[in-house]
Amino acid sequence: MSKGETLGEFEHLTLLAVFRLGEDAYGMRVRREIAERTKRDVTIGAVYSTLDRLAAKGLLKSALSDPTPERGGRAKRSFRVTGLGIASLNRARQQLGSMLEGIAFPLSGGAR
Amino acid sequence: MKPPLLAQALLMAVAGPCEAEYVAGDLEEEFAIVREARGRAAARRWYAWQVARSAGALLQLRVRSGELTHVVLIASLGVAVPLLLLDWLWQFVYSQIPLKDGLHRAPEFLVFNALCVCACAAVLGAWAAWKWPASKWPGSKSRALALAFAAAIAVLVALWAGAASAPAAYVVTLALAVPASALLTFALRKSR
Repeated sequence: MSKGETLGEFEHLTLLAVFRLGEDAYGMRVRREIAERTKRDVTIGAVYSTLDRLAAKGLLKSALSDPTPERGGRAKRSFRVTGLGIASLNRARQQLGSMLEGIAFPLSGGAR
Repeated sequence: MKPPLLAQALLMAVAGPCEAEYVAGDLEEEFAIVREARGRAAARRWYAWQVARSAGALLQLRVRSGELTHVVLIASLGVAVPLLLLDWLWQFVYSQIPLKDGLHRAPEFLVFNALCVCACAAVLGAWAAWKWPASKWPGSKSRALALAFAAAIAVLVALWAGAASAPAAYVVTLALAVPASALLTFALRKSR
């Protein structure tokens, strides 16, 4: 598996957020979904940068919708997960599950 | 109630023409939600903070698309090269006259240089309005802002690379007048 096929942490979160939101996945909703679930302060720029990278890898597909008045007459770019994206999520889940196997949480100790 | 104008302008300048459209739409939509929940002042602060923190990522996205390289190249050719050529021309002319070496930095020549470079920037702005009409390019305003910003940077680089040190007033005048000229002709041509 090449480096481009593996998902970074934020890419993983973004892909999951798009999957969870289904038809309603666009920048603002993805940002809020990640921020609410992970309690991380995420910027719209970071989200779009990641969405663009995932689309370039073929894990997401995007489409522009018609402008709406509540958006100041601006168009919306919606995303959906492709088959390759689903496979990538499944693989990431399997790898993580395999690494976590046999480890009891919460962990304690660690280097000082 | 609209988001802060300065933050909107920064967003238009750093985001690519397409990104500016939907990122601004997303931020405006969320701006209304934040305003409902936390009030006007907090929403304005939130908007400005989002734009400021997103600027790097959006700029990176623009560089990745190759569009920014194009804009920087046009700005460099449009204003930095003429400025350097003028500077070298005066330097050459005065180096040929005994006891006049260094006079190419005299105030009247600097004013002439500034006028020429502003004229070049104005042509650049008019060209941008013709090349990127709003009907074909939804983010033409974003491109024009990026072009003006790139022109200001190009002028500063050209001054730095120039033969002799330039007076501070000359540098500040050029850094402000060049993008202003480009934006003015862009707006004038678009309004016609």
